[in-house]
Amino acid sequence: MERTAIKIAGASGMGLLSIGHIISRALKDLGFYMTIDREYPSLIMGGSSNVQIEFGTKKVRSLSNKVDIVVALDRSGLLEHITSIKKGGILIHGYERHNFIPELKNLADKNGVNVLYLPARQIAKSLGGSSVMVNMVLLGLLWRVLGFDINELREEVNRQFKSKPELLKIDLKCINAGYKAKEIGEIKQLDIKKNSKVPKTLLIDGTMSLSLGAIHSGLRNYYAYPMSPASGILTYIAKTSHETGIVVKQVEDEITAVQMVIGSMHAGSRSMTATSGGGYDLMTESVSLSGITETPLVIVIGQRPGPATGLPTWTCQGDLNLAIHSAHGEFPRAVIACSDQESSFELIQHAFNIAEVYQIPVIVLTEKEVLEKYSTINPFKQKSIPIKRGLVTNKKELENLVAADRFALTESGISKRWIPGSSKNYYYANGDEHYVDGTLTEDGEHVRSMMEKRMRKEKTLKNNIPEPIIHGTKNKADISFIGWGSSKTVMLDVIEELKDEGVNINYLHYDYVWPIKEKAAIKFFKENKNVHLIENNFKGQLGEHMESLTGEKFKGKLLKYNGRPFYFDEVVSYIRKRVKSKR
Amino acid sequence: MAKINDTKILLKDLSEKKGTYLKYETEEVITWCNGCGNYNIQNALKRALTLEGFEPDKILFFFDIGCNGNGSDKIGGYTFHGLHGRAISAAAGACVANPNIKVIASGGDGATMSEGINHLVHAIRNDYPMVFILHNNHNYGLTTGQASATTPRGFGMNGSPDGVIADPMNPIEFVLGLNPSFAARSFSGDIKNMTDVFRKALKHKGFAFVEILQVCPTYNRATPQSWYWDRVKYTSDIKNYKADNLKKAKEIVEDFEKNIYLGVIYQDSKRENFVEKLPNRKNITTASVEEVNYCSIEKLLKEFE
Repeated sequence: MERTAIKIAGASGMGLLSIGHIISRALKDLGFYMTIDREYPSLIMGGSSNVQIEFGTKKVRSLSNKVDIVVALDRSGLLEHITSIKKGGILIHGYERHNFIPELKNLADKNGVNVLYLPARQIAKSLGGSSVMVNMVLLGLLWRVLGFDINELREEVNRQFKSKPELLKIDLKCINAGYKAKEIGEIKQLDIKKNSKVPKTLLIDGTMSLSLGAIHSGLRNYYAYPMSPASGILTYIAKTSHETGIVVKQVEDEITAVQMVIGSMHAGSRSMTATSGGGYDLMTESVSLSGITETPLVIVIGQRPGPATGLPTWTCQGDLNLAIHSAHGEFPRAVIACSDQESSFELIQHAFNIAEVYQIPVIVLTEKEVLEKYSTINPFKQKSIPIKRGLVTNKKELENLVAADRFALTESGISKRWIPGSSKNYYYANGDEHYVDGTLTEDGEHVRSMMEKRMRKEKTLKNNIPEPIIHGTKNKADISFIGWGSSKTVMLDVIEELKDEGVNINYLHYDYVWPIKEKAAIKFFKENKNVHLIENNFKGQLGEHMESLTGEKFKGKLLKYNGRPFYFDEVVSYIRKRVKSKR
Repeated sequence: MAKINDTKILLKDLSEKKGTYLKYETEEVITWCNGCGNYNIQNALKRALTLEGFEPDKILFFFDIGCNGNGSDKIGGYTFHGLHGRAISAAAGACVANPNIKVIASGGDGATMSEGINHLVHAIRNDYPMVFILHNNHNYGLTTGQASATTPRGFGMNGSPDGVIADPMNPIEFVLGLNPSFAARSFSGDIKNMTDVFRKALKHKGFAFVEILQVCPTYNRATPQSWYWDRVKYTSDIKNYKADNLKKAKEIVEDFEKNIYLGVIYQDSKRENFVEKLPNRKNITTASVEEVNYCSIEKLLKEFE
């Protein structure tokens, strides 16, 4: 098997996260690549949650809809997820009251699912454990089904619970009991291919990747108001603040957060905030202020489905147009979209450079799917992206500045910027329309020339941002896609998978979604005849921009708007319906 | 009223530092009405800054929207003219990032007591190292005289012709309820007292709240200059008044009808400000703005290997 998918299902508070953590660490030490994500409702206890782990010998970047194994920790996990198991797959459960009930048996038979039952609750209790330790017993059984050595697992359990030696003893007993349970009898173990060497990887999510990118590139002031799915950034930057010395402040609302970022950036620091769509709505007037005062600004939007509160703990790509069109008046901006851990680490660094050099607001889009999904990735390279601040720092130059340099009408639109207090020559940063030295003006000619100067920055920016990247086959694509954000992860997996079947796919991916480099898309449409859109929203927002900018039409649109990310197998089947396998 | 010999000393000191004072002057045409309280407030602020030895290039002013905000390009120094109600938050971000420059924010009664009252509350709680000047002229001047949260009840204003039906807020009384580290009040008719209050605010290391009762000759006919002169008194008029007692401070600001006391009403000069309180920066002497550079993440990555 190239790719194995396991789902652990149960209620929130049943230790899903710790079991997911143990499995993934153990798999990592065995040399597997993997991706892990969790689905959970917006509540603290109860409700139906699950953790899905998908692993293999090649990179795994996305998850599948259908899995090989479900481990059900409770009743909801049992009945809800039996239909998400592939034919010939396995259901592991320890819920005695539901063993052999007709409903379960019928479903299992209908779907060709093998059911493995162990009285896990009784076993856990007999070993002195609590009912939560059902998870450890079933984990032991899972490990046996996977055909792995129990010692790898024991090592991880030791690591996870070393601070609680009493519980650790019982946990180890539970795992052992599950692994060796006689009740199960002979098991047909899965045939899982292993890597000969353990690759050097990081197992990390997008939240921490983005935070680390920001920390690495000189973030010094972080302000935020909690909002899912962006709260994890506050958690991580605060948790590591003794190591980094960063000023971290949870403030009274989103308007304060963005205003404090503007204040810190204006004072000459590197600062940012992160929120979700609703919080960003509150910030938009300040985005406009950043535009006219030419104050660098970096805002991260962790997208979740709206409108209003929508689905706080689920995913989407619904806020592209929000990021592009938000805030009153006309001013240049950049919108950048993270697609995975590596891009989160790198793009946030570019976001700071663009915000500071161009003196504009930069909106960094990410998604619940990107923020919370863990994957094994190549280790980050430090100092690979230069820090560009666009500040006057030379002493002599600082002495010779005049106030009129600050908003001078340059060809590029970019004027000199210097830190308040660094030069005797002060300037006014004015949210009212102003002339070159920042003094207020309502003179028609001055207003026109200042607007044109600012808007020239967008043209300069568009010329300087990187081109979108074509992944997959260079030519003769049977089917092509255009997309942004987390769609990249599923597309890369699908391109690799179907290549073996002789299906040639390519995918044009936009990291920089505004300004849009439409010439790359025009060329892509010209060279590829079967171009489809993949987007996790209702309207196909990037698609609408693409069609209007290129004058071309997509042959089809793969859209999804139910709070779930694109699954590997559903994209594969979208393609299979349209392209014949040549194998 | 100010004692005459005190004023002389002040002017002597000022004349010695007139070089600095003149740097705060600009050639921009001022757009305030004749008799506007802003002239005196700006004048007193320039005097206080000069007397305390601040050069304009080491000051960062944050202005709100309103008549006072239109003075953002009419004073020497780095200025930032931001959004309505948000001057305090932007200023807080600046002073936290760079405590080495003096950050002074100002806003009117509309911005401070309505649009952005949450920012005032939490800036006091957090004790950001900055000065905040509330220009309280009891109305929205720049939008042509609508009622604010401090307009006296019953007065007809643009937008409420039958008279305001809610009771007014008393800003400094509200602020004292939040346990501030510094709260003072002065009056735009009294340059001497304003200068004195501003000087003390500039020396305070935490969030220095200064309410200026400001006349608005164009739209506020309820509380004109003479109304104030009939009522204002000084904390020095109260026998043995010390500004270190919050309970007493609350008592002397309750009355806004007969005795309106001016001066530093309350100050806790020993309290640690926001920056000093940060647990992760106890041994750090640099400012955030001096620290922007690559930060090694070597140790942090261990967790993910």
